[in-house]
Amino acid sequence: MQNSEELKWALLIASLAMLTMAFCMISFVMYYQKRRFEEEKRISDIEKNYNRLLLDTALNSEETERRRIAQDLHDDIGTMLSLTKLSLNQLSKMVGNSGNEKEDQIMKKSQTLVEETILHVRRITRDLVPTTLERFGLMEAIEEFIHKLEEDNNLAITFQANTDDFPRQGQKLELTLYRIMQELVNNAIKHASCSKIDIRLEINDQMIGLKVTDNGVGFDPEKIKENNLAGLGLLGIESRLAIVNGTVQYEKPEKGGASAFAQIPMMPVSDSKPEPLHPFRRERVNI
Amino acid sequence: MFETLTIYFAKKPVPCFAVIITLLPLTLIFVRKAYLDPSFKLLVFYLLLKFAIDIFMVHSAALQKNNIIYYNLSIPLYYCLISGMFYYKLSGTYSRKIVVYSMLVFSSFCIWEIFNANSNIRDLYNHRAVLYSKTIEGVLINSWILLYFYELIKSLRIPNLLNFPFFWVCSGLLLYYSSFIFIAPALHYTATWSGSLDLGVTRIIPYIFEILSAIMFSVGIYHFSAADYAKQ
Repeated sequence: MQNSEELKWALLIASLAMLTMAFCMISFVMYYQKRRFEEEKRISDIEKNYNRLLLDTALNSEETERRRIAQDLHDDIGTMLSLTKLSLNQLSKMVGNSGNEKEDQIMKKSQTLVEETILHVRRITRDLVPTTLERFGLMEAIEEFIHKLEEDNNLAITFQANTDDFPRQGQKLELTLYRIMQELVNNAIKHASCSKIDIRLEINDQMIGLKVTDNGVGFDPEKIKENNLAGLGLLGIESRLAIVNGTVQYEKPEKGGASAFAQIPMMPVSDSKPEPLHPFRRERVNI
Repeated sequence: MFETLTIYFAKKPVPCFAVIITLLPLTLIFVRKAYLDPSFKLLVFYLLLKFAIDIFMVHSAALQKNNIIYYNLSIPLYYCLISGMFYYKLSGTYSRKIVVYSMLVFSSFCIWEIFNANSNIRDLYNHRAVLYSKTIEGVLINSWILLYFYELIKSLRIPNLLNFPFFWVCSGLLLYYSSFIFIAPALHYTATWSGSLDLGVTRIIPYIFEILSAIMFSVGIYHFSAADYAKQ
């Protein structure tokens, strides 16, 4: 009888122990799974930050390289071309005195070509480094960009901002918005076959928004991104925005065309400014 | 017959409730269309078989007949159906092969043990419960559950286990079989006409966890979404 009582207790204790183990196992699986997910999320965040840093460095290097090429064009080729122009002017006077009409014609053609080359070099330099952006800010830079485009194309480009006195922002933010605007407008001209482009700049306490709308053929952003080469421009926009925690939305308005709306949160303005183009300076730009 | 069953239900409410509650997950499987998943389809067969065998056992017990034959025969059938569920859920080729082989080996062993435990197999009146098979079944099923949990943790496929239907099914099975592992061999000695040993409250534990496991199956099935399953 005593043995049967002992057996009952032994069975009860063993069963309860087994059940406790089962409960512990279920709790452990749930806890461990949760912990691993948190760990994975942490690693993914670190990877994301690292990629952002890498992208930031790549874009900084690109801007530095643009500045270096612009500097070389301005200092070396620009100076040489100016000297060539001066020499040609002197030579032109000498040829003019000789009275040979054919030589005079060739001389004038050479002078015109050199002047055109000087203009091209200036344009390329300006395109490489948006000096207006650095000196006067985003609104003036966009206006200058539009002005140049309207000269070269048969396009109607309008620009509006929700404030007349658009405050200066950090260089990185201004440059990001400027490059995105450039990319979106260039895309509209190249691919959308549009006749009208509308650029809107909006600022409030938290965000700066840039909206570029055209009346062209419109596009499907997802399909374009699938095509590796064609989607590089849009990926470039997203990469630039990722660095400044910005977002972009593409829409296809009912009346036709396409619209892109980029939004960037406001950032504290840094005091450091890149050096203006200057002879014999070779400094890295830290934006 | 109905009167006999009612009397028996009143006499043994916990084991009888463990039989009746099987209808809850069974109904939910059809409501939530969980049978779309092959593992849950096997769970339907398991629950249907379990309900039928349990009803037969209750009926036999109410009529004071030996129902151990149903218990013995249910062991290989339950094992094949439950391990079949893990065959579909486990991702490793080796583990799946082992599951299939274990079905064959275990079923053979179980049938051998039924004959071994009962020298005269035709004598249903004195038919005795198997000694090792139920415990081995519990150990094997708990092993598949732990292997599945390991794969689940390793793959990190499920962000929230509490919303994952098969996790609840596994937890229910783990608790039920854990509660039965040590008690099952004792039934060989206690479940006899002349058995003087009564397990008392200990005998109730597996029934309680059978009820709990049915509730856990129901929770898991409730989380099953046919739309999400179709997307996978």
